[in-house]
Amino acid sequence: MNALKNPRLLGTFAVVVLIGAAPAVFAGENYAMRVITVGMCAAIAVYGLNIILGFTGQLSLAQGGFFGIGAYGVGLLTTDYDWSFWSAFFVSVIGTAVIGYLCGLIALRTKDEYFAIFTMAIGFIIFLVISRWEAVTHAHSGVNNVKFPEGAGIVDFSSPIAMFYLVFLVLLICIYITHAIRRSSVGRTLLTIRTSEDLADAIGVRVGFSKQLAFAASAVFGGIGGGLYATVVGFIGPDAASIDKTFEFLMFILVGGMGTVAGPLLGSMIVTFLFELFQDFQAYRFIVLGPIIVALVIFAPRGIIGYLGEFIDRRNRRRRLAGMRRSPKETGPDGRSAAPTAETMTESGAGTTSEETK
Amino acid sequence: MTLFIQQLFNGLALGGVYCLAAIGLTLVFGVLRIPNLAHGALYMLGAYITYFFLTTLGVPYIAAIGIAALLLFVVGVGLERLVFHPLRNSPHTHHMIAAVGAMFFFQALAQAIWGADFRRMKTPITGGLDILGAEISAQRIVIIVTAVIVLALLAWFIKRSIHGQTIEAIEQDRIGASLVGISPSMVSMLTLGLSALLATVAAGLVAPINLLSPTMGDALNLKVFAIIILGGLGSLPGAIVGGFALALAETMTATYISSAVGEAVAFIVLVAVLAIKPTGLFTKAVQR
Amino acid sequence: MNSVPRSRRHRLLASAAIGTLALSMAACGGGGSGDGDTVVIGYTGPLSGGGAAYGENVQIGLEMAIDDLNADGVEVDGEPVTLELKSLDDKYAPSTAASNAQRLADQDKAPVVVSPNAGAIKAIQQINSGRSNFLISAYTSDPAIVQSDNPLTMMIPPNFESYAAEFTETAMKHGGKKLALLGTQSEYGQQWTESITDAWKDAGGKIGGDNSVDYATVSDFAGPVSKALAEKPDAIFVGGPSQPTALIMEEARKQGFEGSFLVMDQAKLDEMATVTKLDNLKNSVGVLPVSEYEDPGTADFLKKYADKAGDKKVPTSETALNYQGIAIIAKAMEVSGSVDDPEKIRAAISDALPEVDDKYKVNGFPEEITEQGHLLNPNLEATYLDDEGKYTKVPIEQVSDNK
Repeated sequence: MNALKNPRLLGTFAVVVLIGAAPAVFAGENYAMRVITVGMCAAIAVYGLNIILGFTGQLSLAQGGFFGIGAYGVGLLTTDYDWSFWSAFFVSVIGTAVIGYLCGLIALRTKDEYFAIFTMAIGFIIFLVISRWEAVTHAHSGVNNVKFPEGAGIVDFSSPIAMFYLVFLVLLICIYITHAIRRSSVGRTLLTIRTSEDLADAIGVRVGFSKQLAFAASAVFGGIGGGLYATVVGFIGPDAASIDKTFEFLMFILVGGMGTVAGPLLGSMIVTFLFELFQDFQAYRFIVLGPIIVALVIFAPRGIIGYLGEFIDRRNRRRRLAGMRRSPKETGPDGRSAAPTAETMTESGAGTTSEETK
Repeated sequence: MTLFIQQLFNGLALGGVYCLAAIGLTLVFGVLRIPNLAHGALYMLGAYITYFFLTTLGVPYIAAIGIAALLLFVVGVGLERLVFHPLRNSPHTHHMIAAVGAMFFFQALAQAIWGADFRRMKTPITGGLDILGAEISAQRIVIIVTAVIVLALLAWFIKRSIHGQTIEAIEQDRIGASLVGISPSMVSMLTLGLSALLATVAAGLVAPINLLSPTMGDALNLKVFAIIILGGLGSLPGAIVGGFALALAETMTATYISSAVGEAVAFIVLVAVLAIKPTGLFTKAVQR
Repeated sequence: MNSVPRSRRHRLLASAAIGTLALSMAACGGGGSGDGDTVVIGYTGPLSGGGAAYGENVQIGLEMAIDDLNADGVEVDGEPVTLELKSLDDKYAPSTAASNAQRLADQDKAPVVVSPNAGAIKAIQQINSGRSNFLISAYTSDPAIVQSDNPLTMMIPPNFESYAAEFTETAMKHGGKKLALLGTQSEYGQQWTESITDAWKDAGGKIGGDNSVDYATVSDFAGPVSKALAEKPDAIFVGGPSQPTALIMEEARKQGFEGSFLVMDQAKLDEMATVTKLDNLKNSVGVLPVSEYEDPGTADFLKKYADKAGDKKVPTSETALNYQGIAIIAKAMEVSGSVDDPEKIRAAISDALPEVDDKYKVNGFPEEITEQGHLLNPNLEATYLDDEGKYTKVPIEQVSDNK
């Protein structure tokens, strides 16, 4: 199918182009640039969550912890050990992958809610280690003056715009990987596991191994996001690994749309700005924000992208129905392909509409 | 030896509080199949409302806890109706985030009403006991005794009373229970109300030995989750054993190893147990 | 299937979502009230979450100062200037604090941003002198923030390391040689624990294990206290926020401890007395309560504070020192003749100090500012609360900020 005719891909492009053009609008506005750049770092971690939660259906609550490991890896290696950013970044990401894989070995023995709370415990232990192991992590004093990436004399990454495009580029790669996974046999394997583990097992999918890979991949994305975050903000404290971060990520993905390609990005941006917007209410902002979060979850269970997807599905169906009425001969088997393949994966039970079941 | 006895009682008192908080959570999980992350916020709200009746209105201590517990029952029911009922067919991810939203709301609300300052709740129960050279305050004895009584009452309620039996019936087989005329919706309300009520009793008991603040539920929240998952989700004996075991482990490691390990021990135990037995200590048959 | 109402509801919600998005984007671009005669003083602090009480105390001090200054009239370069406080919540998270500070500087053109937490200040120092320029009014006693040589930082409270030696001497005089450590597990608590450990060892004392616990997450203080007392100490180091510290001391007395306490400067003895009996607090050395200061403006300040915050709240140095801090900044604006050049304002602080009106001198008013930006009051005093419940002043010799 021609990509440009697919409204969903077009939507993703639109969001990406919009954000890519942001520096042109906000060039002088350090604050806006900072909020967007930090939001993109979070979005990268959310893409990781998307792989394990959105595609594979396993609720991992350790993502904040992996984000923290990436951030502290880059932070500590570039300051205390005086490594260059790139080598520190590379090693941190590998480190997160290894730790993620090892955690997955134990964590994936558990299922459903046990997995969720087990990973929450892992995330919390990571936070405790970071906030208590003073000799190595400086505990609550944090890590100061994290290095900027070295631009090899070509780019100066101390400029917010250069930093923005660096994070943006990495984000694009992550989006592309997500898209590629969705399309590949790996993606279909993961989706099968999400639909039914038993079924997947029965048809010969290596369930354990696939879940293991998905978990490690999600940790890697978390590490990448964290590593970039450390260099963007320059100072990190233990709050970079806190459980609140995990819930933030979860909120981003839920608002954007789980299992979709554009959802994590859109969700991260919208929620980040929503939080900034309500800053004026100071201490009382959560009296408003709390119910908004609840309402979003209840009324838009599939996130914004899920919403738009549903809308497009309905429109296509209406058109098709109209077409059928006019010339019933033309449809037949082709009628199916007119409806896009379910790009936006719906959560089982959560507002599943008849489109997918026909 | 004196230190050991002292810490044993401290651990038991802490265990009583953990149990009361954890049992409500595990009940909610058994019936609604949701991890209610707002539980700590309900506990905090219970403490403040007890404080309001005790200190501001001058109601006697026990009565203040009772009134607050009933009020929180209503709050729990409201939470079920407004938040969890509309989400009853959603995956648990949605519940978690909705619960986080509710938690933010409750905390901000408490701060708006009572301020961010720490508050102290005075208790009429003073004095202490000397047990083998260890000085145990009366409030801690009250906590232990009340916890045992409340747990016994709860066991009686669930096993013997009609309303309680509906809870167990729904836990065991949701569809079967609906077939014989039990309304899952009513039971869900009852359970969330009951869990908020139990959290309030725990809060009312522990508030005099600690301080009230809008975030007082946060620290408890994570630990209580560790407890119910350790015991096996939805299992009452699991929550009781888990509550006392983790409280004692926490107190004793903090005493004999280090306070940092004491803080982490709940989660280390959890990881260790689940690594060996992925479904917790007391697993119930889980319905799909 | 109820498709009709469903789709209508969906469309409604979709438009709501898009509306929210548009609003969010607008919020990001908008703002900017760089009005000629109004100057925004920015404040980012914990206004919700665990540190909210602390953040509010600071905020009250800032509000009081700005109200008083506006009533007196501030005149910069011949033009009357109105000060305005703009507060943002950072929940104690450093990166949020830095975003807030950036926002205050960008959108509200605040030349000065107040922050009351060392981590947040370090994060803000990454951005305040370079592309953005604004002065940090830093309320933390951690000297690390002036060691970084940030040209636009003004550190308000005394360096906490100054206290350790004198606290040790006083406590040893009234107690004995064996110390138990029971401070809080925060950034600041850990630093204090280290500093006290060194001073105590230097003075030839003995120290047991580190029993520090996180005051914010412990449900029952009896356990940690029993453990500390098992070491049979003559003195105990405690400290964190005032109220939990008071509870720990009460618990220690209940369990039969009779020695002396060394109380970290975060906890204020008079504020602690609001949650426990004064008897439990006796025989301890700590920072001097605001009400014990004899600066020219102290008495009036106490009155105004009671009007604003009520009789039940005790004014602490968080409030008083930030009150002074804003007065110093306002005077520095007047002296420099600039409301928007943070470098000029910073440079003028030294000349502004002697010019500040007496009414703003409430809590050990500084006489000089070091090159690194630390306000210094040469006559720093702590206090010893004796068995009679009386405060005796203890002079403190200040240490250098350099490591």
